[in-house]
Formats: sequence, structure tokens, C-alpha cells
Amino acid sequence: MKIEVHVWDWPLRLFHWLLVLAVVGAYATGKVGGEWTDWHGRFGSLVLGLVIFRLIWGFIGSTHARFINFFPTFSRLLAHLKGDWHGVGHNPVGALAVFALLATLLFLVGTGLFANDDIAFEGPLYYLIDKDFSDKLSGLHIRSVNVLLVLVAVHVAAISFYQHVKKTDLIKPMLTGKKQLPKSLAPSSAQPVGVLRFVFSLLLAVTVVWSVWGGDPLKYLTPLAGVQTAQANGKS
Amino acid sequence: MKNKLAIALALGAVTTTALAGPVEDQIRFRQSAYSFLGWNTAKIKAQAADHPETFNKDQVIAAANAIAAVANSGLNELYGEGTDKGTGWKPTRLKAEYFEKQAEVKEIDATFIKEANELQKVAASGDVAAIKTQFGKVGATCKSCHDLIRVRE
Ligand code: HEC
Ligand code: HEM
Ligand code: HEM
Repeated sequence: MKIEVHVWDWPLRLFHWLLVLAVVGAYATGKVGGEWTDWHGRFGSLVLGLVIFRLIWGFIGSTHARFINFFPTFSRLLAHLKGDWHGVGHNPVGALAVFALLATLLFLVGTGLFANDDIAFEGPLYYLIDKDFSDKLSGLHIRSVNVLLVLVAVHVAAISFYQHVKKTDLIKPMLTGKKQLPKSLAPSSAQPVGVLRFVFSLLLAVTVVWSVWGGDPLKYLTPLAGVQTAQANGKS
Repeated sequence: MKNKLAIALALGAVTTTALAGPVEDQIRFRQSAYSFLGWNTAKIKAQAADHPETFNKDQVIAAANAIAAVANSGLNELYGEGTDKGTGWKPTRLKAEYFEKQAEVKEIDATFIKEANELQKVAASGDVAAIKTQFGKVGATCKSCHDLIRVRE
């Protein structure tokens, strides 16, 4: 007997497929350059927003979105290798890949924000550091693209290995959120998504992206919080 | 006969080095030329793409003229033997593979000149959207060369 269990919450699924779009877009526009550099900045910023969102969601999202529930601890990895792992979220080895992907993406956007191409494109925070340092970060940015390529290749290969060799469909759950599991193994479904938590995570992610691009979200938010005077004194 | 050839070759070598100067000079000249290009591309990007409200036709024409002039100035003379090592204003970033990639470099050189000349024409028209598009093509040419023969930091 198999029953349907809700595993991936919708913000996580939305995050994943938007991330695929943004990463492919950033990669293509980065390689082409020229007129597409502005789009590279836009796709890159989408990556930035998504990763920030995911980091927050890793603490306040629903059950299987939480880092603590799939963090690849040594004992979990060991159990998995022995075939004793029976969770329903990311398995411990998959979790390694998840954290590696997120870390690499964070590094890419972190360096990209300060990078320059010596032609006509700079990350929005380029002006905060000197040119030599920006050149170093640009080099690291480009090099880390290769790390990302390897990780994505491994990621997609692993998924298709599960699909075709182990006959376990991981893709459909990433689309619908639901997994069919034997009744004996199936835990209760993930807790429902807290709407307020989602709004909070989204707002924080948007604020970061906006600030990075020189928007001044505080200007719009402070009147709401009633601290305009402190802000007005703090900034000229 | 053999001697004459040797003398001719030696003279040839002397005159080319005399034109471009010693290795350090060649590197310094080309670094200067590319920095100057960077100033002009940044100006066009700012005025035709990022902040079109600051578009200043005369400045953009001047920048496009400068880019075309540099593109047509025979920069390839500054890539003499041994210039993949050495220091101009700073250590050079020319890859050693430069010397094996002559066919590709020639093609890029030709494209660069063609697109820069076109940008000069389009700039004179003052059509901001057209300038932006053509400028993108020039920028892509700069990038293709950097991807091919410039060392990554
Ligand atoms: C034929 C190949 C080629 C083309 C085309 C080219 N570059 Fe470069 N560029 C180089 C090389 C090689 C260097 C490194 C020079 C060195 O360090 O000796 C360089 C260096 C630079 C630098 C750093 C200069 C310095 O030393 O500080 C800038 C800025 C630059 N290029 C801008 C441009 C721009 C803008 C364009 C297009 C308008 C362009 N380049 C087109 C090959 C090219
Ligand atoms: C997933 C995120 C990103 C990916 C996959 C990515 C990918 C790339 C690629 C492929 C290149 C071209 C490398 C080459 O020429 O070989 C590039 C260059 C660049 N990227 Fe990104 N990028 C990302 C995020 C960002 C962000 C957020 C910014 C900042 C807004 C940024 C700024 C730049 C800059 C300035 C360059 C030019 C660097 C140079 O040529 O020296 N990138 N990026
Ligand atoms: C740009 C390429 C991609 C990136 C950067 C990427 C990134 C990620 C990340 C970060 C996760 C973890 C989800 C989370 O908990 O936050 C994940 C999971 C997943 N991804 Fe991707 N992904 C990419 C492409 C793909 C593609 C093309 C597919 C489909 C073939 C895919 C299928 C999946 C599946 C099924 C999972 C869940 C794995 C599991 O069940 O443990 N991904 N991906």
C-alpha cells in the first residue's frame, strides 16, 4: 500500500525552478556578453534573491525545507551508505550536493556583485572596492562558474540515475510536491506553509537585492515603522 | 645569397623592434591603448545605455571616433615575440598561447575593426537605440579577445 505524502512545499518548488531559469539565464548571458551583460546582472540578481530566500527558508520553511532536517551529519551519511537511511526529504548525499550548490551560487553572486569586465559592465557594488581587488574577484567569479557547471552536471546526473536506474522519480515530486511512499515508511506530511513566514522571507530577499542595486528600501520602510527622524539624522 | 637573406631578416627584425620598441614598451603601449579604450567604452555605455538622459551626442561621437582610431591603429604590432612575459605599467596578462592562435586572433582583429568603424558611423547619426545595439557588438568583440588571449586574474 502506498500513500501520498506532501514533501516539498510550494515556495521550495517555485524556488527550484526559478533558480534553474535564473542560473541558465545568467550563464548564457555571461558567456555571450556584449549587449546581454545587463541581462546578466538581472539574472544574477534573481539568483541572489532566490539564494537569500532559500537561506531564510532553510530555517523557517516547512519540514523538509529546513536545513536541520537534512543537514548531512556524519552519522546520517554513514547510515545512508549502509542503506539504513529512511527519510523522505533530501537524502544525506543529495544534501551534500544541495549545500555545495547553494554555497557555490552564493560565492558567484558575492563575487559578481563586485566584478567588472574591463569593457562596460560592473556589478552594482564595484564602486565600493578598488580596481585590483575587483579584478581578482572577477577572476574568481569566472573560475567558480566551472565549479557550478560540475556541480550541476553531477546534480542532474544523480537525478537521472535515480530516474532510470533506481526507478525512483524525484522530478515529479519537485513539481507537485508529493511523493508516493509505502505506508510503513511514510511519515506525516510536511507542515503547511506559513503565509506570514513566506512573506517575511520574500520581503527580506527583495530588500537585499534592492539595496544592492542602490535602491533605498529604508526610505520607504521607515515611515511605516515610525523611525523617520533617526533615519533622517543618520543620513544626509 | 644566404648572407643576403640573413641580413635582410636581421634588418627586418631590427626595424620591427625599432617601430614597436623593446618588450616593455610594447606592453606599456598596448596596456595604455586598452585602458584608453576602456575609458571610451565606459562613456558610451553610461550615456547610451545606463543613463540615456545624460546622452551627449558630441561626447559619444568623440568616444566612438577614439575607439575606431585605436582599432585601426595596428595594435597587433605591439604583440612582438616575448611580449607574453614582462612588465609594462604592470605585469602583462597576455597568454603565451597568443602565438599559437594567430588565425583566431586575426579574425577577431578584423571583426573588431569592422564593428568599431560601424560604431563610428552609427554614433554620428545620434540614434541612441542604434548606438546601444552597435556598442553591444563592439563590447562582445572586446570580450571575445579577452576570453581568448588574456590571462584570467
Ligand atoms: C586583439 C585582442 C583584444 C581586443 C580586440 C581587445 N582587447 Fe583589451 N586586452 C587585450 C589584452 C591581450 C590585454 C592585456 C594587455 C597586457 O597586459 O599586456 C587587454 C587588456 C585590456 C584592459 C586592461 C588594460 C590595463 O593594463 O589596465 C582593458 C581595460 C581592456 N583590455 C579593454 C578593452 C576594450 C574596451 C576593448 C574593446 C573596445 C578591448 N579591450 C579589445 C586584448 C584585446
Ligand atoms: C548564478 C549566478 C551567476 C552565474 C552563473 C554567472 C556567470 C557568469 C559567466 C558565465 C560569466 C562570463 C565568464 C566568461 O567570460 O567566461 C560572468 C561574468 C561576469 N559576471 Fe556573472 N554570473 C552570475 C552572477 C552574477 C552576478 C549576481 C553579477 C553581478 C550583478 C555578475 C557579474 C558578472 C561580471 C561583472 C562578469 C564579467 C567578469 C569578467 O569578464 O571579468 N554575475 N558571469
Ligand atoms: C541550473 C541548474 C540547477 C540548479 C542550480 C539546481 C539546484 C538545486 C537545489 C539547490 C536543490 C535543492 C532544493 C532545496 O532544498 O532547496 C535541487 C533539488 C532538486 N533538483 Fe535541481 N537544480 C538544477 C537543475 C535541475 C534540473 C535540470 C532538474 C531536473 C532534471 C533538477 C531536479 C531536481 C530535483 C528532482 C531535486 C530534488 C532532489 C531530491 O529529491 O532530493 N534540478 N536542485
